Amino acid sequence: MTRGLVVVEPGLLTTVQDLGRPGWGAWGVPASGALDAEALRLANRLVGNPEGAAALEITLSGPVLKAIGDLVVAVVGGPFGPAPGEVVPIPDGKTLALAAGPGAVRAVVAVTGGIDVPKVLGSRSTCVSARFGGFQGRRLQKGDILAVGEPAGRPLPGRANVARPPLGDVVLRAMPGPQEDFFDKEARAAFWSGAWRILAESNRMGIRLRGESLGFIETAALASEGTAPGAVQITAEGQPIVLLAERPTSGGYPKIATVAEVDLGLLARTAPGRAVRFERISVDEARRILAEREASVRAGSAR
Amino acid sequence: MKPAGERAWLLEWAGDESAANGKARAAAAALRAAKAPGFLDAVPSARTCLVLGGPGFDASGLPALEADPPASAPGPPPRAHELRFTPDGPDLDEIASRCGLPPESFLRAFTDLTFTVGFLGFTPGFAYLYGLPPAFHLPRRPSPRTAVPAGSVALAGPYAGVYPGATPGGWNLLGTTAQRLFDLRGDPPFLFSPGDTVRFAL
Repeated sequence: MTRGLVVVEPGLLTTVQDLGRPGWGAWGVPASGALDAEALRLANRLVGNPEGAAALEITLSGPVLKAIGDLVVAVVGGPFGPAPGEVVPIPDGKTLALAAGPGAVRAVVAVTGGIDVPKVLGSRSTCVSARFGGFQGRRLQKGDILAVGEPAGRPLPGRANVARPPLGDVVLRAMPGPQEDFFDKEARAAFWSGAWRILAESNRMGIRLRGESLGFIETAALASEGTAPGAVQITAEGQPIVLLAERPTSGGYPKIATVAEVDLGLLARTAPGRAVRFERISVDEARRILAEREASVRAGSAR
Repeated sequence: MKPAGERAWLLEWAGDESAANGKARAAAAALRAAKAPGFLDAVPSARTCLVLGGPGFDASGLPALEADPPASAPGPPPRAHELRFTPDGPDLDEIASRCGLPPESFLRAFTDLTFTVGFLGFTPGFAYLYGLPPAFHLPRRPSPRTAVPAGSVALAGPYAGVYPGATPGGWNLLGTTAQRLFDLRGDPPFLFSPGDTVRFAL
């Protein structure tokens, strides 16, 4: 192997991700892909890759990686390693330790040439729950050696900026969900005005939140229905789950809201234990904000 | 039609669930066949079809598709499957007794049925099969099992289903099949597609 990454320390949950495999929902296959798609696109742009090239998603405690060949990486998302948001060369045989800085939750590590694992159902993303795709269908372990592709472009000067969770409650913009009318007036008011703490039991399928319960939900009458990214399901105990890239393709819980796509990266960057609030916006407004964000990501920034 | 996000729409049909599901399947197949610019996915389910678009997807044709889904879905014709299974499920006796039959009679009745794959979900390759008579509609188990064996043939509500892998699950377990439902070395990797028919055999 002339270009590769040796996993010296794997970190807590390091997986290969790209922009996912939409298109297999009718067969029950989660889209998967980076939870922070914005970070993936920006990190790839920085190192000169196509924006959907496969990269590493790192979680809470970052990995230590050793270069085979002279590599260039960029870490975008949470503050991991020596120079988040910037291009970092790793010369052949040298290691890069991506220690978590204060409040670091998730980030994407892109490498010039992209992580070279086989495509499965059209994507290099790891589906952690169903154990396929990515590197051998699983999170990285100590001693794994990942092949890195040939560079397609050259690293860009400059840095990539993404929004960091502010001090205090994190505000997520959200649209009314397809089953908002399933909830009575009090439950709706409680959802939109409440503070919701992120639970440590969150994973790549969804961010679990806890706050004042919206009440016991009787779901027996609800038919299973396809789930959109950012959908906020309310469980039988009256607590929200924000569905992410690896969400099951369908579910039977009522969805009170949908988090705006532009704020899903911010949510992925927010630590368990922190509180979020939902700010109600219309679908039209969410579309307008998304179009603005698309333009800024294409220009290399997402703030 | 309801929005489910900036670029997500739910088409929905009322009335009998399996008829509604047939429309959802036809709409999803039509969207998949059309391959419109920016189209990402169409996920049929019990009464809805979720449409996911990316940049450049034009949703203006969706209301017409909801109003008048195609009578027959484009794409590969449905396949007919026969699935052999062993009636070794821990809930067989309870299922039969709740359906008011001795286990042998229940199994005979069950293997006489022809099911239709309505939709897949929960985990890759898990199919929700329509075709159970109302007398065989049972509630889910009060508390889900933490591990259901791979290949479990199971019932819950109006559906029969088969667990592709070992997962947690709350359905009533009738038996197990050795047939693989999701195998990435296979072509296609999924045994069942929406619209296929399934008969069970001992």
